[in-house]
Amino acid sequence: MNKIKYLFLGLLAMCTTAVFTSCDDDDQEPSIQYIEKEVIKEVEKEVPVPSSNWERYQELVTKDVKSKKQHDKAILLVAFGSTWQQAFDAFDTAIEAYKAEFKDYDVFLSYSSAICINRAAAGENAADGAEIRNYYAPPFWLNAFAAEGVRYKEIVVQSLQVIPGEEYTRVINYIKDFANNSNGDLDDKYLSEVVLKLGVPLLQDAEEDVPAVAKELNELYKDVAKEGVVAFMGHGNPDSYDTYKANVRYTQLEEALQVYSKNYYVGTVDMMGNFKTHVLARMQANGIKNGKVYCHPLMSIDGDHGHNDMAGDDDAWDEKEGYEANEEGEVEDTSWKMYFYRMGYTCNDDTMIEKGLLELPTIRQVWINHTHAAIDGEPLDYYHSKNPE
Amino acid sequence: MKYKWITALAGLLFSLHASAQVVNEMQDSIPEIVVTGTGTQHLLKDAPVQTEVISGRILKNYSAKSLQDLLMGLTSSLDFNEDDMGSQMQMNGLGNSYILILIDGKRIHGDVGGQNDLGLIDPHNIDRIEIVKGASSALYGSDAIAGVINIITKKHDEGLLAENSTRVGSHGDIRQHNGIGIRLGKVSSYTNFQLQHTDGWQNTATEDPHQTEFLITDSRNKTVNRYTNWQISERLTYEPVKNLELYAEGSTYWKRIYRPSGKYAAVDVKTYDMEYHNRSLSAGGTWKLDGTDFISLDVDWNKHAYYYYFTAITLTDGYDPQGNFTPYYPYFPDDMELQSDQQRTMANLKGVFELSEHHRLNTGAEWRYDYLEAPMRVVGGEAKDHTSALYVQDEISYRLSDKVAANVTAGLRLNHNDQFGNCLTPKVSGMLSLGDDIRLRATWSQGFKTPTPKELQYRYVRYMNGTYLYLGNTELNPQTSNYYSLGGEYNRKGLNITVTGYLNDVDHMITLVTIPNSKAPAEYIAKYDPVKTRQYQNLESAKTKGVDVSVRYRINREWMAGLSYSYLDTDAKQYDTTHEKLVDVIIDGTAHHKGSWFATWNRSFSSKYQMGAGLYGRMSSKRYYQINGNGKGYQIWRLSTNHELTAKKMTYRIEAGVDNIFDYVDRTYHGLHLGTTTPGRTIYATLTIKFAQGKKLKFKSNNKYNSNSNDNEQD
Repeated sequence: MNKIKYLFLGLLAMCTTAVFTSCDDDDQEPSIQYIEKEVIKEVEKEVPVPSSNWERYQELVTKDVKSKKQHDKAILLVAFGSTWQQAFDAFDTAIEAYKAEFKDYDVFLSYSSAICINRAAAGENAADGAEIRNYYAPPFWLNAFAAEGVRYKEIVVQSLQVIPGEEYTRVINYIKDFANNSNGDLDDKYLSEVVLKLGVPLLQDAEEDVPAVAKELNELYKDVAKEGVVAFMGHGNPDSYDTYKANVRYTQLEEALQVYSKNYYVGTVDMMGNFKTHVLARMQANGIKNGKVYCHPLMSIDGDHGHNDMAGDDDAWDEKEGYEANEEGEVEDTSWKMYFYRMGYTCNDDTMIEKGLLELPTIRQVWINHTHAAIDGEPLDYYHSKNPE
Repeated sequence: MKYKWITALAGLLFSLHASAQVVNEMQDSIPEIVVTGTGTQHLLKDAPVQTEVISGRILKNYSAKSLQDLLMGLTSSLDFNEDDMGSQMQMNGLGNSYILILIDGKRIHGDVGGQNDLGLIDPHNIDRIEIVKGASSALYGSDAIAGVINIITKKHDEGLLAENSTRVGSHGDIRQHNGIGIRLGKVSSYTNFQLQHTDGWQNTATEDPHQTEFLITDSRNKTVNRYTNWQISERLTYEPVKNLELYAEGSTYWKRIYRPSGKYAAVDVKTYDMEYHNRSLSAGGTWKLDGTDFISLDVDWNKHAYYYYFTAITLTDGYDPQGNFTPYYPYFPDDMELQSDQQRTMANLKGVFELSEHHRLNTGAEWRYDYLEAPMRVVGGEAKDHTSALYVQDEISYRLSDKVAANVTAGLRLNHNDQFGNCLTPKVSGMLSLGDDIRLRATWSQGFKTPTPKELQYRYVRYMNGTYLYLGNTELNPQTSNYYSLGGEYNRKGLNITVTGYLNDVDHMITLVTIPNSKAPAEYIAKYDPVKTRQYQNLESAKTKGVDVSVRYRINREWMAGLSYSYLDTDAKQYDTTHEKLVDVIIDGTAHHKGSWFATWNRSFSSKYQMGAGLYGRMSSKRYYQINGNGKGYQIWRLSTNHELTAKKMTYRIEAGVDNIFDYVDRTYHGLHLGTTTPGRTIYATLTIKFAQGKKLKFKSNNKYNSNSNDNEQD
């Protein structure tokens, strides 16, 4: 329909041109350039056709935000994302908890993984009972928050990362790009007025967060730790991406947990020097040579890593030679469950604690506390630093 | 139950046989000529290189819906496991990327992940298929490691030809073929249209519970997806003077694979279909000299473009309005994004000269330029490759005594590639003829396959119950092979038996290998958080060894039966980066025992009516895979019947049949390997109407080949 309108106006402009060029009279009519300008103005006013997919998509996000806007302030939770149902449920619960806690804020959730965003949307199959979950990427949410007709007065971005590492740095960069109007498509006046806040990851602070999380985890699992080892599996940053030395939080958490019991361990999937093999070495050094090993994801949600790397059936065990670690000391293609089982411990489906941290209300509360702290704290200066610590 | 079926069918065939009025019919008695093994013409039984032929007659009886259908049903050394990415063809254990497919001697163009698009070939337009197993790189260059499949298309020489063939079958299967041929003096034109469509099918709606969060019994993932493809091609030939034929041809092809989307984000949600656009142009000519001597020149250009056709809003890698890289470039339904555009320009000059009674020289030069555009799949967005080659081959024939003759074919190819410099590839085949009945053949040949631009420069992310990152490897070496075979052939009174043992020793095979995430560029790990990262690497070695046996018996003019069997064993050693040592691995998809068999009956009841029927079977033992389970063994039977009515210039032909008579379906959970993707029992019917006016030019036989045609496969 818009195209027809556009075409028609174009045609009108052409006819006008023809008429005026055929009249040589030195008359009082407005100039042809003036009319063309007016026509174009008219078209632009009535038919705001997005010039690219980028703009078209942004408009969809903006429209979605507009339809949901109830307050002047917004909280945007940012996670990597997952396509597991358990993860969807955990995010739903987290959103509800945030809404209950921050009653005068609109709460939204953002994925930073494009693949997870695409699959979670699944819009076309809504009729089949698929849930449409629009976990847009952070830049689109932020731009929508700044769009005409939305313009939240306060925006709080809450990182749902566990450690202040690489993913968290990306979150900061999104905010910085937004605050600096990097793409030049936002209203500078609005940007100078909006209050931007950033809620830090779960284990941001070694002095406060690490002991707080350790305390809550011990409250939850102290009985389990009496029965055997509770091995938490974090993600960790690959060595070359150990941004701000964030990996050390896992080690600090283990130390804080071991204040309660020597049965607590914290290993990772990607942190150099802290793979499951290293967890085993520390267990053995503490004299734990057998018994039960419970495994628990130390991630905001229990998705691919929790179900595959921790509790999957992958096992590279060789009957003759056992496991062979790679040069980094990790045994590849083997889940934690199979690894500890082969190493002589009681480790099986019954000792897998399939819970993401967002599913644990007391741990979720630590994130919520961070959001409170951000709201109560000073607005951060995104203009000058990529790391507003 | 099964035996009752067979008995009933056999009874039906025999009763038809007994009650029919016997009419002596003059069948064509054209000796089967093959060209693929040496690049020169030979009678099948005298071909110095063992060649398996699927003749026009067998093709006609089988009524295949596709090239895949007929290769699967009529040869035991080929297998398929059709999926999203292609047909997953294997020849004697080696995959499609080691099999060279030729159409009239020219290599087919365009692949996705090494899988050629077999839809480019109109099954109705195939005259015969020649299969030469083992390395043939001396003659054909890269890729000819497992073997060569040469599709010889029909040549239409009628004055005027109009043909329509429509085949319909279960699961919305539609095959359409239309051909119009005109010959006006020295110029002839043939226009071909083909369409292939299936609605696809789903053998199970249950996902493998070990790979999913909870039991899913209503998955939308199909076993074989719905697809449609069509192609128009045109060939013009011109004979300005006697012995010189010039041609120009072109084609355009379109294909879409439709992927259903379900409701489980981790399992069956899809946000795009796949679309392929293929175009080709070629021109050339053949100048026939004395006897069998000729010089030919062919120049051709091919383009195979692969797109995502989005069905839902999809964010993917791209560039934002400021030109910066973003993982969030949005596409909307009906948008398309180019994944890869492979373009190839080739020129081939070839000459065959009979130097003396004992020597026949086949020599030529090849120039090839490859260009790959893959904006988001190749580092830098594009890659180029240049290859030139010279080859020479001598066929040396001597008669050692009255009954014993020897033939040695020796060939050598010098290849020059931009990236890998020069390499020499030899081939030597020998044949000993003991009387008319027995032929003994031996071959040693080398094969090679240069890494594709994709394998060198790849960067791709796939989501399948977790993110998988695939990476190219610029350190790759060309893959090379040594092939040894020894075989015997016995021909007498319609009986043909061949037995061939072989060893194919492939070095530096390239395959995707799981590497530790720490070995991958850290920026990709941070960006995609892959469950596994796989990179192309050279396998240290892979040996396939086996025996192929084929028996064919033409009992009389009406009955013919055949059996082929392949035994295969593989011994692959792969470098395991986790353990930094060679480990024994299975070549995915291989089975120890495979067989196929057939019995056909054809009879002419009058000069206007003939009918035929065929019973076919094929089997495979368990197919082995490294992960996600082995494929179950299977046995599948097929019945095909045909009726042909001829009235003056018109021919009407009806074909109907039942495939997979006993309704075998492998319902292994989705996500695990299947032995076969057959949907179970299917029925089909084909109606072909053909109008032909003017003299059909028969095969221009050369006296040299007519000397010994009595017992050969006839067409």
